[in-house]
Amino acid sequence: MKHTAEQKPLLSLKGIDRFFGITKALQDVDLDIYAGEVIGLIGPNGAGKSTLMKILTGVLPRTNGEIWYAGEACENYTTKTASQIGIACAYQDLSLCTNLSTAENFALLNVGHGAAPDMNWRRRTQKEAKDFLEQYFPGNGIDISKPVEALSLTDRQVVEICKTLLAENLKILILDEPTSALSSDKAKQLHRIVKELSAQGVAVIYISHKLAEIKEVTDRIVVLLNGQNKGELYSADITQEELVATMGGVAEQKDKVIRDLSANEKMLDISHLTKGDLTDINMELKRGEIVGISGLAGSGQQELLQMIFRSAKKKVDGIETKGNIAYVSGDRATEGVFQFWNIKNNILVANFDRVSGKLLISNKKAKESAQEWYDKLKFRAEGIDSNIMSLSGGNQQKALIARGVASEAEIIILNDPTAGVDIGTKQDIYKLLEEVRDMGKSVILYSTEDSEMEICDRVYVMHDGHVVKELKGADITVPNIVTASFIETEKKQIVEKKENPVAAAFSKPWMLPLLTLLLVFIANIAINPNLMSYVGLQMKMRSSLPLVFAALGQMFIVMVGDVDMGNGYSIGLVNVIVGVLLTGNVWIGLLGLVIFVCAYMAMSVLIKLRRIPAIVVTMGAQFIWYGIALIISPTPGGSCPEALSAFFRFQSPLIPFPIVLSVIIGAVTWYFLFRCRYGMVLRGSGNNAQTLERSGWSNLLTKVVAYGVAGVFAVLAGLAFTATSNGADANSSVNYNMMSIATVILGGCSMTGGVPIPGGVVMAALAMNLINTLLTAMKVNSNFQTAIIGLILIGVLALKFLIRKGNKNGHE
Amino acid sequence: MATNKKIKSILGSPVVWPVVGCIILMVLTYAVSGSFNARILTAGLKLCVFAMLLGMAQMIVVTSGNGAIDISQKYILTLAAYVSCEVMQTNIFAGILAAVLVGVLCGLINACVNVFLNIHAMITTMATGYMYYTIILLVSNKFSNSPNSAFVKWTNSSFLGINAMTLTVIVIAVILYFVLYKSKYGLNLHAVGQKREAARLAGINVKKTVIIAFLINGALCGLAGAMNAAYCGGANQDLGTTYFIPSIAACFVGGTNAAGGKSNIIAVCVGAFMMTLMSTFLNAAKIPASWQRLIQGIFIVLLLAVATKSAKTKS
Repeated sequence: MKHTAEQKPLLSLKGIDRFFGITKALQDVDLDIYAGEVIGLIGPNGAGKSTLMKILTGVLPRTNGEIWYAGEACENYTTKTASQIGIACAYQDLSLCTNLSTAENFALLNVGHGAAPDMNWRRRTQKEAKDFLEQYFPGNGIDISKPVEALSLTDRQVVEICKTLLAENLKILILDEPTSALSSDKAKQLHRIVKELSAQGVAVIYISHKLAEIKEVTDRIVVLLNGQNKGELYSADITQEELVATMGGVAEQKDKVIRDLSANEKMLDISHLTKGDLTDINMELKRGEIVGISGLAGSGQQELLQMIFRSAKKKVDGIETKGNIAYVSGDRATEGVFQFWNIKNNILVANFDRVSGKLLISNKKAKESAQEWYDKLKFRAEGIDSNIMSLSGGNQQKALIARGVASEAEIIILNDPTAGVDIGTKQDIYKLLEEVRDMGKSVILYSTEDSEMEICDRVYVMHDGHVVKELKGADITVPNIVTASFIETEKKQIVEKKENPVAAAFSKPWMLPLLTLLLVFIANIAINPNLMSYVGLQMKMRSSLPLVFAALGQMFIVMVGDVDMGNGYSIGLVNVIVGVLLTGNVWIGLLGLVIFVCAYMAMSVLIKLRRIPAIVVTMGAQFIWYGIALIISPTPGGSCPEALSAFFRFQSPLIPFPIVLSVIIGAVTWYFLFRCRYGMVLRGSGNNAQTLERSGWSNLLTKVVAYGVAGVFAVLAGLAFTATSNGADANSSVNYNMMSIATVILGGCSMTGGVPIPGGVVMAALAMNLINTLLTAMKVNSNFQTAIIGLILIGVLALKFLIRKGNKNGHE
Repeated sequence: MATNKKIKSILGSPVVWPVVGCIILMVLTYAVSGSFNARILTAGLKLCVFAMLLGMAQMIVVTSGNGAIDISQKYILTLAAYVSCEVMQTNIFAGILAAVLVGVLCGLINACVNVFLNIHAMITTMATGYMYYTIILLVSNKFSNSPNSAFVKWTNSSFLGINAMTLTVIVIAVILYFVLYKSKYGLNLHAVGQKREAARLAGINVKKTVIIAFLINGALCGLAGAMNAAYCGGANQDLGTTYFIPSIAACFVGGTNAAGGKSNIIAVCVGAFMMTLMSTFLNAAKIPASWQRLIQGIFIVLLLAVATKSAKTKS
């Protein structure tokens, strides 16, 4: 809905500047946002669209300019201000907890934080989620109770968009390339949603490279170019061609030296390469040539560069290369700089051989070589011994390019080397590339900045995994590249596939522990039929209770991404507290146990606030547990309180009590984790802590709760252990540490956090105990028992790894 | 200005905390026992060689990055101790060599499971540790568990007033210093530890680098095993347990970055010495064993809280 002449803007950006060092990402940009209007924001790569949206959502502060809302200028504009106003953004990189279901992801935003019981929250949020999805994407068929990671990319994108729509008092919705992963019917639905929202008075900012779509859904189009507002157009009265022309800017005809390289040898030859996202790529590179790769970001350029780089080490079908290849990444922070090192080592790392003497690196050679580059590239720094992190982004990039060239590779791949680099340094980099070319090396340059392509001899423009155009010499101009970038290719069908129910059951994480338990149980009975009796089971299962509790406690710590290396001794401490203190005086004993659980929570605070690895803290803590236990009971002794052993010896009807207890405790844990609001939050925190924090939950609290629960389980394990051993010994429960970790893994939990499987862990704990019984019954030398647990562990993980690998290959 | 900077860089160095710890412990020992002589110092230097070897070995594994840690060290040490006792019946050098080879073999197994099956190093070494322990149990009643007397004599001998084992470990530390900070492999290792993806793109063979880290780790554990068997008057099933926590503490107190890529072998060695001085002090103060454990635990956790802070503010 086009805004009317007398309508006042809802929010205005006035004269916004945003500088990164010397780079001017945005210059004097104005944008008026009116209620109910759909604005299309377009512009070539690097035009400043994302920067502008980050300023609007408060993620980035502005350098200059004003933001007006409701007739007032906002002084302190942060993410909080933005969300209070009602601005929400659907991100391209999804901000969902992938281990939680769709309904749960929504619920993170809209369930109460209070402790008040809310028995119906699950049914309510599920219904809400279903209705919500159905309202916006009718017939979407998304299973709202399935973890998000099991959904297709399309469905995930739908969920992400809907999560944004959930925001209370939504006034301004930003959609950043929303249809990039959507099939065409879903995209149509989205367009309808945009219309509906607009009718309700919500302003929508729609960013897309798909011009047809922009023309269809938006009322007004804002074109950004080089960080500047290049005018506003009304969608109704413009053609696609005109839009492309606006974005391309005016062509500047420059005289270009066209070099004849046809006689040079081929350094790279790609023919009919179809792999992953790439379709039928043909490409060649001559010695001394600079070849550019262009097109809209995300058209498969990254995959192609990676594949070329890998082919030098390991043959890839369809790619022929000569000589070594060096790779220079523009993503300096994650793929480029070595943050602990100085400039010298950062330059030399790709080829230390060159500066080596007979055995060691020659300091002199290294200094000379690095100094040579340092002088040539005019670094702005104190010297080659300055830490790389003290340099600006542009200077870091120079060092990375120097690294690539100094490696003496024949082909140098540059992956967007000038991202976030200022103009001056960019010029230095172009000059360097020309020098490199004149040295007889070949360069592949991928850049998201189209004007950079002008230094290339030839340019391949990609779209959707295809090379759609090859430009040569004088034809390499920004308008030509922009035009070629929008050439449509045959759209790959986004297929949504169905699953085989049998295979699905087998891939369930609790399947493996269940099968193991059954197998071991049957084997046990075959050897010793007496086990099947009530008494036999009672005896056997009672001895596995401590492990059941220990493993469940370990599971909680693993769930939040840590590991407890000290629970063997902490269970020993509980054993001593119960066996010595509690038998002496119940109240002192109970006090001791309460302090114990508090100590577990304190440990999590130390880990979280000081960011010390949990493995180290829990390992150090085991000394503390052990020391206190030895102080209380220097030698084995004590006894089990009568009530406690009576409890564990309780004879329940029909099914032996330990089995009943295991099932109950597993069920309770499951209920807490999968049916209670805070259980959901705990699982989410192990998967995506950042999203959780953004949704208003404290990550410190989740850690404290997880460790507290783990402490309680250590207490339970200690109680059960005291009942079985009928005494106190600080030393005798050490093995529960390793055993609990092994059990958690066999139980199907992921060591990276977020995936607790209480049922699997309980079954795995019972199975572990039965394995030992079985080995004893089979008269296997007791010495082998530990090795077999180790082998099972490696076997389970190797199996998982192979299945994962198989799945991945299957998808390609 | 220049001196100011120098002081700052010294204070920021990971060597500071262990050195401060050593001084405090020496003062405390003096306070409780009324004397602190060279004898205590040399005894400490002799005793700390095992924690030093394991600490350096652990440091190399941790430096390879991805949160790697080897918790099978104590089993490798024990197994190597048994093998060395057995082989030394025929020849001392063959015995040492065999111990080192056993360590390298164990390291190779750890590395292969970790690298090729893509299982996290901690889980890998936990599982393989179980297996090594079984082998220990199997060989413990077959192999000789008494050390070669000539070798024992060597471990007690001293040169220029310094124990032979201490000297050996110092030589090893010096060699490792050059390997880690002056050779291509060492620099590659630190690069891999900082960012595996960046190292791969710089053309470094990441898998090979990690495997070699595990091999060096194994070799050092093996050597520690051979010497420890002689020191303790023979191998026993729980030989390595004593050194497990001190070596890990030494590794992290010595400023090794738990996420990898940053290490300081001198600080780790001083850290190992400090851990030994701590037990010297606790013994001198006649503190009962139980309290010793408690104090050690609290000391380690506190020291880590301080030491990791200084590492963080630096970077």
